Amino acid sequence: MISFLLIIIAAIFFVGIIVKVKAKIAARKMPSILQPVYDVIRLFKKGAIYSTTTSIIFKAAPLVYFASVFLAIFFIPVGSQNAFLSFEGDFVFFAYLLGIGKFMMIIAAMDTGSGFEGMGANREALYSMLVEPAFFILAGSLALFTNNISFQDLFFHLNLDTDLSYIIGIAAIYVLMYIAMVENSRMPVDDPKTHLELTMVHEVMILDNSGFDLALTHIATWLKFSIYGSLISNFIIHSSWNWYWQVIAFFGIQFTFAVIVGMMEAFRARNKMEKNPQWIIMLSAISVVVFLTALIITQKLILN
Amino acid sequence: MTYLFIILYAITLIYFALSERVKKFVYLLSVQGFILFGIVFFSLHKIEIFDFIFILLETILVKSIVVPLFLNKIRKHNKLKREHEPSVPVFYSIIVVVISLIISFLLSNNLNSNQIHTKYFTVAFASILFGVYFIIIHKNIFSHVVGYLIIENGTFLLSLAVGSTMPMMVNLAILLDVLMGVLVLGVFINHIGDTFKSIEIDQLTKLKD
Repeated sequence: MISFLLIIIAAIFFVGIIVKVKAKIAARKMPSILQPVYDVIRLFKKGAIYSTTTSIIFKAAPLVYFASVFLAIFFIPVGSQNAFLSFEGDFVFFAYLLGIGKFMMIIAAMDTGSGFEGMGANREALYSMLVEPAFFILAGSLALFTNNISFQDLFFHLNLDTDLSYIIGIAAIYVLMYIAMVENSRMPVDDPKTHLELTMVHEVMILDNSGFDLALTHIATWLKFSIYGSLISNFIIHSSWNWYWQVIAFFGIQFTFAVIVGMMEAFRARNKMEKNPQWIIMLSAISVVVFLTALIITQKLILN
Repeated sequence: MTYLFIILYAITLIYFALSERVKKFVYLLSVQGFILFGIVFFSLHKIEIFDFIFILLETILVKSIVVPLFLNKIRKHNKLKREHEPSVPVFYSIIVVVISLIISFLLSNNLNSNQIHTKYFTVAFASILFGVYFIIIHKNIFSHVVGYLIIENGTFLLSLAVGSTMPMMVNLAILLDVLMGVLVLGVFINHIGDTFKSIEIDQLTKLKD
């Protein structure tokens, strides 16, 4: 339960830190760290407006999306704190839980009948599909490396102490960081600040959502960032540390992750749309190298 | 520690497939030179000290500094920026690299030979395969030289794999040969660039005697 609370607290501040870093780099006046929270509260007070062409799917989708992401938090452990729910093979469940939410958002975008939203849904589906092998190969190699198949046991038994396991750790953090960026439609694949519908991916998909629904999708984005940040922190935090060091390290890593995302958004240009698939498949290629490394460590591949 | 550099070498091959800028090719070649230096430094201390120092100097000076600097000079002379349309999409190139890596790792697992150090054989084989592939998919002479250097890095690793039977002086001779080859090819590329105002290989099909 403690890990659940920690992830929620990190989620509240995550996007605020990103916005603050971007403003600082652009030499603008920095907004409050809670500005995204105020925005969401304002959205919650508004009612939602629905197009006459939409059906029940469009109304249900943001709720399902939010619920799926919220449920996914229960499976994430933090340091030595157990996850709220855990069973064998739960990382597959975790991935498809996020998949259900995304699927609902995609068919909701199709439901509006708008050409722009169909295009955005199309792109989002392609990128999510391409990034999925990277996550599964990575989780599979970690399972092979630690001989456990649930998130909790997997991270509990993860000992990165030999030179080859450093490669696993660094490559896994790199891949997870970019998976988070692709899943949240952030900088290298999509620019959240773009103002032209033709170049949007996620933003154009939620163009018809308003008020309450829009607020839910925003919160789901914060939670997703925080979930991936916690997964990254589990590679660094060792379960034998004191609990207060673990909590400090957890928030430190989430903060660093948010600052890196902000800096990347400030300094990097978005990839060309047609270069995105090759860039995303590169993550899977690196995961395959992690897998080969895990095979070498576990002596499944015998080299002399 | 050797394994760490071997895995890093495998990752550089993936980045070779991903990148489309000529500047990045040169940069990656330099990185490969440093990785080879690391591999030699951590694995070859049983040989004679003179040979050891000579090979270390060759990797750090020739492979990671002199050759990339020279290539950079050629790049600037011919105003090369972005690779024009490799004939195979980058998406497929990455898949080809991954498959060649998997094949070479599995192959070295099945070699079971006492005379070959299979840990070097893994990336050496993948590097040679990828170098040939790299030359095939690019139309630019400069990229062909880069592909040639990738193959050469592969043969260097291969010579480490059979190190117990191959004298080190042969290896050094290959290295010097490559250095001279790159220098000559560089001058050659500059002359072609000056004459035809482009270094696409299509230009060379028009040559007559």
